[in-house]
Amino acid sequence: MPDRVFTELQRDALQEIANLGMGQAATRLSGLLNAFIELSVPRVRVVAVSEAAQALREMTGIDGPVTAVRQGFRSEIKGEALVICRSGEIAELGALIGGPYAQSTRDALTEQELVFDVANVLSGACVSSMLDQLGRLPVFSQPGLLGGAIMLDEVFQPGMLAWDLALLVEVNFALEDQRFRAHLVMLMAEESIHHVSRAIDALLHSL
Amino acid sequence: MSLPIVIADDSLLARKVLTKALPEDWDVEISYASNGREALALYRAGRAPVLFLDLTMPDMTGFQVLEALQHEDLNTFVIVVSADVQPRAQERALALGAMAFVPKPVTQEALLPILKEYGLYA
Repeated sequence: MPDRVFTELQRDALQEIANLGMGQAATRLSGLLNAFIELSVPRVRVVAVSEAAQALREMTGIDGPVTAVRQGFRSEIKGEALVICRSGEIAELGALIGGPYAQSTRDALTEQELVFDVANVLSGACVSSMLDQLGRLPVFSQPGLLGGAIMLDEVFQPGMLAWDLALLVEVNFALEDQRFRAHLVMLMAEESIHHVSRAIDALLHSL
Repeated sequence: MSLPIVIADDSLLARKVLTKALPEDWDVEISYASNGREALALYRAGRAPVLFLDLTMPDMTGFQVLEALQHEDLNTFVIVVSADVQPRAQERALALGAMAFVPKPVTQEALLPILKEYGLYA
């Protein structure tokens, strides 16, 4: 059973580590969008890649097309951060904020830039904070657009992601009084899961 | 007599970190709550003259606990301890009656001035 990879104590710790990362990311996003971000409890699951899309559907409640940005991170613990939003909600995000974004919300390139900015802020702050708590310093690769209007099944094609078992950390950012939601998912392969596990034990031991 | 305090956080790790950040010689009797509802129940049972309150919790968030406390006699010092460090989250918590806001990860250096300011620890 994939979900038995972590003990209950480790899973709890990882959730709190994600909680702190989420707080850092929300503060940055809140500055970027000039809006209050409502946070909920992060969720942690270990799943087979073949089950990842279904797991993410359950975690996010998303069934329709999404826009997804991926960004790799490397340290002893390595993986990918995916920022996923409902495609239909992105224009709303563009209209919400002022400045250069507001002038051309119909411009696809601008919308894409906006999604990249949101993704960059969320992955950078959240992943850095989480790995810092685990005593690791990540190097990030350039973000890339995984797809502009794709289904979750297409996000997690087993062939495209080069691992069988993945740690899914789902963090949900909701703009107050808006429909817009951004979901940050961290994917880490099996080898990294063991490093995460040992890093958590070291953290717990230090208390 | 020991001072009863409540530490409310859904995470065991967070409850441990906070417990460890309390002054070693502070004479307190700690009760733990793992969600907002439990925290409120402990408050009503008189166990929370001091309440350390997380904001993001299942089954009543910290904000909902603060709102509920406003309808009671609010006979407690609430110190919010949260990873949500958005300025608006702090303002909202203080407006809802929290005495102080401490960002996570909580340290003794951050707690001491607050405990001293309100005469909870000498």
